[in-house]
Amino acid sequence: MVFAMLILLPYIYVYQTFLESHAYDLLADSEKQLYDIMEALTQPFVGSDPENELDAIKGTTWSGNFFGFMISDPLAGLGQFAAGLSLHPPLLMAILIPVLLTLLFGRFYCGWICPAIFLYELNTNIRMMLKRMGLRVGSKGINLNLKYYVLAFGVLLSGFFGTVFFASIYPPAIIGRELFYAIALGGFGSGLVFFILTLLFDLLVARRGFCRYLCPGGALYSLLGRYRVLRIQRIVAECNDCAKCNAVCELGLDPLNDGFGQECNNCTACIAICPTDALEFKFQIKDVAAQGPGHLGKKYLYPSAEDQAAQVE
Amino acid sequence: MQQELKKSSCDTIAPSVENTDRRNFLKELIAGAIALAVQPVHAAQNQPSIRFLRPPGSLPEKEFASQCIHCGQCSAVCPNRCIRYFGLENGFASMDTPYIIPREKACILCMKCGDICPSGAIQPIKRALEPIISKVRMGKAVVDRQLCLSWQGKTCGVCYRACPLADVAIRVGLLEQPHVLDKCVGCGLCERSCIQLPQAIRIIPDYG
Repeated sequence: MVFAMLILLPYIYVYQTFLESHAYDLLADSEKQLYDIMEALTQPFVGSDPENELDAIKGTTWSGNFFGFMISDPLAGLGQFAAGLSLHPPLLMAILIPVLLTLLFGRFYCGWICPAIFLYELNTNIRMMLKRMGLRVGSKGINLNLKYYVLAFGVLLSGFFGTVFFASIYPPAIIGRELFYAIALGGFGSGLVFFILTLLFDLLVARRGFCRYLCPGGALYSLLGRYRVLRIQRIVAECNDCAKCNAVCELGLDPLNDGFGQECNNCTACIAICPTDALEFKFQIKDVAAQGPGHLGKKYLYPSAEDQAAQVE
Repeated sequence: MQQELKKSSCDTIAPSVENTDRRNFLKELIAGAIALAVQPVHAAQNQPSIRFLRPPGSLPEKEFASQCIHCGQCSAVCPNRCIRYFGLENGFASMDTPYIIPREKACILCMKCGDICPSGAIQPIKRALEPIISKVRMGKAVVDRQLCLSWQGKTCGVCYRACPLADVAIRVGLLEQPHVLDKCVGCGLCERSCIQLPQAIRIIPDYG
């Protein structure tokens, strides 16, 4: 959905510039088509002054403007602070809401809002196809802490170059920009090359490797969400140890052994696939320590005396 | 014994020449490494040959580079589609930062980009004559009198008529000969509309 929005917004922008020029007759046929489609789409939402009213939603998930509220990625604030040792007050306000939400809900941005995740998950599917075709795909395990070093290194480089370095290595920022370039300005920027490299990294080195090992934004969100309130938990009484949750977890976590931690991005894939509904959201500051094998599974393996009696009958 | 001899002979023949050489070499090496390492920062601060026209209300170049978060909203709000973005051609620091090529699309001074900029790299400025004249410093127009039709005796005056701040930023004399005044903000509409090829009036970006 976020991805669709990022495609729609540049088209709305192009439509706005057509409106602004007040020259429908001079547009080319394809432009007229676009104009008509966008007019039909936006008509219900705007009043008498569409070219200015459509400014209400602008920007990307890196930094956007929603009905007068500015919302920015916390990484943008951190980058600006690192680059110039000062933080523009409106930007501080803009990152406040995401920071608070992350403190409560952890790394939810990565699972729900990040526009790059759509492409990364498609990439995982391609990975599966390649695997089925018998090609070798890498699945290296790297230390999960590598991304925190990337974050620290990015802060240092931002200070060194005097520019917000994260903007060029952070996939959501790149995706938002490149979609805008491609649709509204024509042509791609150089960030696309980097993004394709990350896709290849995921394909050839490790499943979702960029998000897990390298993404500076993921690192920042994980750090902020260390003591979050909302966590997924396994109800040990319901669990039958089928391990489907571990197989489906995009981030390679270990739900079967209660291994969620700060890395979990609340994507709910494990909750959705669990055949016995043994995983659920709970409000708690700490994860439960490993609870051992699920009780339901034990029941399967070693039927109790009552069950045996029932079977005999 | 032999070794000792060797050592002593070495000392007498070339007293610590090799030593100082090595020290100098190391010094140069370190100095060179530091120079190389500092170079990108230095280059970013001090580019006399590469100048780019930033959107109206932009901070001076060095501060701009450190404040801009490369979000792309200034272009997303520009009704004239004049703001574009650098790739890697000017180095890493200016990648995905906004600029304007006035000859292709000039700024119409609508001041929307300053309002939407979340990072403060483009300052919000009210769209009125007084704040624009006092705060916007994009650059300044310069007339090439060898190319300018009016200065060559063929009355033109297009730049004067294109200027959104006519008589404040530009004035015309005899035969519509343009004189750029101090209050020119550098929006580039004159360069965009100049009928000469190449253009006889150009914006020289301000690097404040």
